[in-house]
Amino acid sequence: MSRMIAPASAKVSHSRHLTILMLLGILIIVMFIVSMNTGLMRLTPLEVVHTLLGDGTRQQKLILFDFRLPRIVISMLVGAGFAVSGCILQSLSRNALAEPSTLGINAGAGFAVIIFISFVPATAAGHIFVLPLMALIGAMLTAALIYFLSYRREDGLSPTRMILIGIAVGAGIYAIQMILTLRLDPQNFQFVSIWLAGKIWGGDWRFVLALLPWIAVILPFALYKSRVLNLLNLGDQTSAGLGMPVEKERLVLLAAAVALSGACISVSGGIGFVGLIAPHLARRLVGPKHQVLLPACALIGSLLLITADTIARWILQPAEIPTGIVVALIGAPYFLYLLAKSKA
Amino acid sequence: MFLSETKKSMKLALAGLLAMTMLLSACGNNNGGNAANSSAAPAATAEGAAEATTAPSETAAPAAEKTVKDAMGHEVTVPANPQRVLGSYLEDYLVTLGVTPVAQWSIANGGVQDYLSDPLKDVPEISFDLPLEAVTSFAPDFHIVQSEGSVQNGLYDQLNKIAPTYVLGDEISKDWRKALLTIADLLNKTPEAEKAIADYEQKAADAKEKITASFGEKSVAILWLVQKNFFIVDETRASGAVLYGDIGLQLPNLVTDIPAESRATWNPITLEKLAELTADHIFLVNSDQTDASDILNGPIWQGIPSVKAGKVTELSATSSWLYSGAYANTKTIDDAVSALVK
Repeated sequence: MSRMIAPASAKVSHSRHLTILMLLGILIIVMFIVSMNTGLMRLTPLEVVHTLLGDGTRQQKLILFDFRLPRIVISMLVGAGFAVSGCILQSLSRNALAEPSTLGINAGAGFAVIIFISFVPATAAGHIFVLPLMALIGAMLTAALIYFLSYRREDGLSPTRMILIGIAVGAGIYAIQMILTLRLDPQNFQFVSIWLAGKIWGGDWRFVLALLPWIAVILPFALYKSRVLNLLNLGDQTSAGLGMPVEKERLVLLAAAVALSGACISVSGGIGFVGLIAPHLARRLVGPKHQVLLPACALIGSLLLITADTIARWILQPAEIPTGIVVALIGAPYFLYLLAKSKA
Repeated sequence: MFLSETKKSMKLALAGLLAMTMLLSACGNNNGGNAANSSAAPAATAEGAAEATTAPSETAAPAAEKTVKDAMGHEVTVPANPQRVLGSYLEDYLVTLGVTPVAQWSIANGGVQDYLSDPLKDVPEISFDLPLEAVTSFAPDFHIVQSEGSVQNGLYDQLNKIAPTYVLGDEISKDWRKALLTIADLLNKTPEAEKAIADYEQKAADAKEKITASFGEKSVAILWLVQKNFFIVDETRASGAVLYGDIGLQLPNLVTDIPAESRATWNPITLEKLAELTADHIFLVNSDQTDASDILNGPIWQGIPSVKAGKVTELSATSSWLYSGAYANTKTIDDAVSALVK
């Protein structure tokens, strides 16, 4: 059907899309290099190259390989993860406002972390690995709760209901979270509040290793499911009419999106907005087809977060602001712009 | 319809996959370098700046590298003769031991421990949260961290890559004598620490004698006024430990009224409650120099008996009264003696 209408234009847009993806890739590489040169310690680009080639001083190696690079890599992975997760959720719910944080998944993860910290002091050994696990479990449980509440035997999962229930559950969790937060001692309170604002930790290759499997499995999986996502975007009845097991596919994809965002939250805390903006931007650039939309999302998410993290490290030197706040600072004006534009 | 669509989308999907793989593999490559450099010798660049900051060590005995266990159970290898020591918020101890740290604790907008401004005059500041790159830039060769809480979530491992890092721990930090002896032991300066403590006890005993003779064993209150809120100190820390513990003055009614188990080092106290204060003398640490005048001129404050009687000593925020340590406590004693001994 669609083939009959536009064989020629498909080819044109095809190469245009490739160009856009390549361009995003180049921008990421540029930002990567800028980010490597940004920080409290002045490293000239030449010194960076020297250090990369293996003859920097011990200090320079430490800063580059142990502090800056893991952090850059984590922001790229987290950005891609949130963006793709947001994209899947938006397509599943056919609602442009869906993303991990609006669905209450961030809140659930944060809640699990706070409960954990309330009982186990933040200084206990092994914290660094248990905390991400708790966040992941929290995200999963919240998603399960939302799914359970919005599922009706007669008409399955209504996307709109899912969003509304997600918002409600999220608000409820935030309220309890606030109460629990107030009972923490100052040390833990500071830790939690920074965590909730979304801060990419000083960076550690172990976090990269913890996050990589999730990204490496779920991103290709989502891409593999592109066609399903395209169909779901058309509406349940159309998809069902085309012979797709709507409910089953939706459940699988929902689980994938939640696992992805949960894994990202566990490393970076709740960085909102990326999952919201990246799919929007990607759709404007390459259109709604998931085969190219998802990669574009991942690249835009990476670019966004690597930029935000660079700004976060640079703007208030020597202090750092949480990356999530920078994303929100960039995100809010963009959204207002979108709103103003759509009205006109 | 579906078949041809599939072919096309496969191609696109493949392109997308390729882009993602490129992205991911670009990230994975830099993994190898970090194991090697963590144990290497201090950088050559650091040495140029090194000599000026560290006072020459008096211990002539050839010290050897030693391995100790810190409060969190880390095995820490302390260099034989640390030259560039960093101990954020532990400056009092370092100064007491005659060690000039490479950087001093600070908070945003230039907040430092003002009472140490003399001995730390030329020492650059480092943010309290120990940003990794800032720590690296000072090239410490030994790092002491005060609290477990400040190195959580993997920060310890990162700091330990920069320099051997010893966590003193909150438990030891509570007691400045223990903290001083522990740090002295790490830095091979135990004789200095013992002397500092003996000197201090002597000074406290002398002060106690003078104050008892002139003022008696009456009660005093130590209030801290910050952002229009009052806090009252108990006998466990800082100037409270000095006045109540070492000099033997009595706690005021407002502190003893608080059940022991719910007492904090600094207890918040409302202005209304302050009206019931019956201390014979008040020490007021005023961190609100300008905007607190309406409180201090107000009827409630002016109605407190010891305020009416003019028995108030105001101390500025740059005084040592909020801090613990041999250096801080010595200054606190001087202030107390000059206020109470007539």
